[in-house]
Amino acid sequence: MSLTSLDPVPPAPLELGAGEPAVARHGLMRALWRSRNGRVGLVLVVLVVAAAISAAFGGTPYDPQFQNSSALLAAPSWSHPFGTDQFGRDILSLVLDGIGVSLKIACLSVLIAGGIGTIAGIVAGFLGRWTSAVIMRITDMLFAIPAILLALIVVAALGAGWLNSAIAIGVGYIPIFVRVVRGPVLSLRESGYVLAGRVLGFSRRRLLFRHILPNVAGILAVQVSLALAWSVLAEASLSFLGLGPPPPTASLGEMVYQSASSGLAAIDWWTLAFPSVMIVLAVIGFNLLGDGLRDAIDPRTRKR
Amino acid sequence: MTDGGPAGANAPAGSRVNSESGAKSLLLGLTRRLATMLLTLFGVSVIIFLVLRLLPGNAVTSSLGVSAGLLNHAQIVALDRYYGIGEPVVEQYTSWLHAILTGNLGVSLSSRTSVASLVGAALPVTFELAIVAMALGLLIGVLFGVFGALRPGRAVDLSGQGVSVIGLGIPSFIIGTGIVTMLSAVFHYFPSSEPFASLTSNPWLNFQQIIFPAFTLSLGIGAAIMRTARASVLEVTGQNYVRTARGKGLSRRSVTWKHIFLNAFIPVLTMSGIQLGYLLGGTVIVEQIFVLPGLGRLLVESINDRDFPVVQSVTILFAAGFVLVNMIVDVLYAVIDPRIRNR
Repeated sequence: MSLTSLDPVPPAPLELGAGEPAVARHGLMRALWRSRNGRVGLVLVVLVVAAAISAAFGGTPYDPQFQNSSALLAAPSWSHPFGTDQFGRDILSLVLDGIGVSLKIACLSVLIAGGIGTIAGIVAGFLGRWTSAVIMRITDMLFAIPAILLALIVVAALGAGWLNSAIAIGVGYIPIFVRVVRGPVLSLRESGYVLAGRVLGFSRRRLLFRHILPNVAGILAVQVSLALAWSVLAEASLSFLGLGPPPPTASLGEMVYQSASSGLAAIDWWTLAFPSVMIVLAVIGFNLLGDGLRDAIDPRTRKR
Repeated sequence: MTDGGPAGANAPAGSRVNSESGAKSLLLGLTRRLATMLLTLFGVSVIIFLVLRLLPGNAVTSSLGVSAGLLNHAQIVALDRYYGIGEPVVEQYTSWLHAILTGNLGVSLSSRTSVASLVGAALPVTFELAIVAMALGLLIGVLFGVFGALRPGRAVDLSGQGVSVIGLGIPSFIIGTGIVTMLSAVFHYFPSSEPFASLTSNPWLNFQQIIFPAFTLSLGIGAAIMRTARASVLEVTGQNYVRTARGKGLSRRSVTWKHIFLNAFIPVLTMSGIQLGYLLGGTVIVEQIFVLPGLGRLLVESINDRDFPVVQSVTILFAAGFVLVNMIVDVLYAVIDPRIRNR
């Protein structure tokens, strides 16, 4: 059983929750690899992240924005493995650049949602009834607006841009982090070893950071992975609706929109297929990784 | 989270209350939920209002573009008054709230027609789309989920899991784009090229126009419902009372539907309520792809025009729909599970 399980850990007095021993961490990785979801997810995520990083360091075969007028809408070939678009731009380079932008926005938005959501969730779970009630009411209100709609109106108000997209998408996901974190914190607060810590006169901060937070870490990791999947999806959707970062920023959702709305998709299939596949790989990858992490952390599902 | 809490046969004896007080507590719970719902909606309206008003950019800068910078102070004040955005924020909010409560949603800034008539025309389209998509999603999800879980690892189960990977992993705008491209390229068929036909005026054309977007939306919902239904049925199937029911020789059908299905249904219901939020968000994108004149399309258009009265009204409407359905789900819990009713 890993230390991140929700069940109370057998007490090892005075040294409770003093960081995870290396064995437990290795155990988690092994458990992740043992679940089929986790394995596939991990491989996909590594591939997608590698693609994004290579683009960030200029590792694309061509300059993504270079318009080769002698190769308009060229079919996939050795020189252009993914073909070119109607401006003669290399689609492989655009797709690599696009996933880089997607992940940049996704990471920042998850940082926003996870940061604010986790703090609010811990406060709501750990502090008194009033604070908790206020936070949960606000969360309910945010939750009543479908997340993508919330992102839509925030981006409408802020204006297009990659930073604004990240904020908008992050705001939409905050309530989910609050709910996911608060539940376990509530039950951990009443658990035997936290009560024991309280009796021993540990400070609130020590209880929170050494005893409660490490036990929420697993759930948080699962949620971060799922949130990344959602963010990539939301970013692509916003761009598809024309509310993503304006050109020349590469954007997978916008590529799909251009291909579909111009009618190119039906003839020059590669203009639609490759950006779509990239989005799908990223979304499935993070989703499966999240599932795999959940399997690895929760011993009840691990047996299946 | 994984604990769906199947309504087992081990209800505490004390929860057996006579039906009269049960009905009374149901009514009490209903009133309390209604109050919470109104409070939530009030908060939602404040959030939406603040987001749209306190951030930079407004109808004036939007309709004039860069040349808004050339206006002198008097012109700005006059324009602000014309658009009704010059007053203090609180005043704007209260007058908007008053307008909403009296059913007068204001006037669209861009088209100068009443918001109520715009919304009134768009609402039935989205409503129909959402209902059909939800029905398809439940059908796909419950059928594959339940029958898959009854025979894990067999053909139905595996194909169900295949559908769920597609439904969860492929965004609806890609599925939708794919379907539109296929229909037009391969079958030279695109029902949305004709103006939208209402259900009453031309049912057959209406069906053709609604079914593809609804199917697009239903895959995602169906996948999520399927996963929940499968996990829930698997969990219930392992319970002692199911073994007991089998042991005492009940028919397979009776065990499946009365003991397994009913007890496994609550998590499925919860998931359906949650999915409705995604569905409402999804209509925005799918209506765009399939050119349906619904609320989602209206929303995107008015966002591009910075037409705040319309954006506010449509968003509030979406939120109200979501909150209302979740309240109905809560009430359905009580109908299905007597223990919740008597709590």
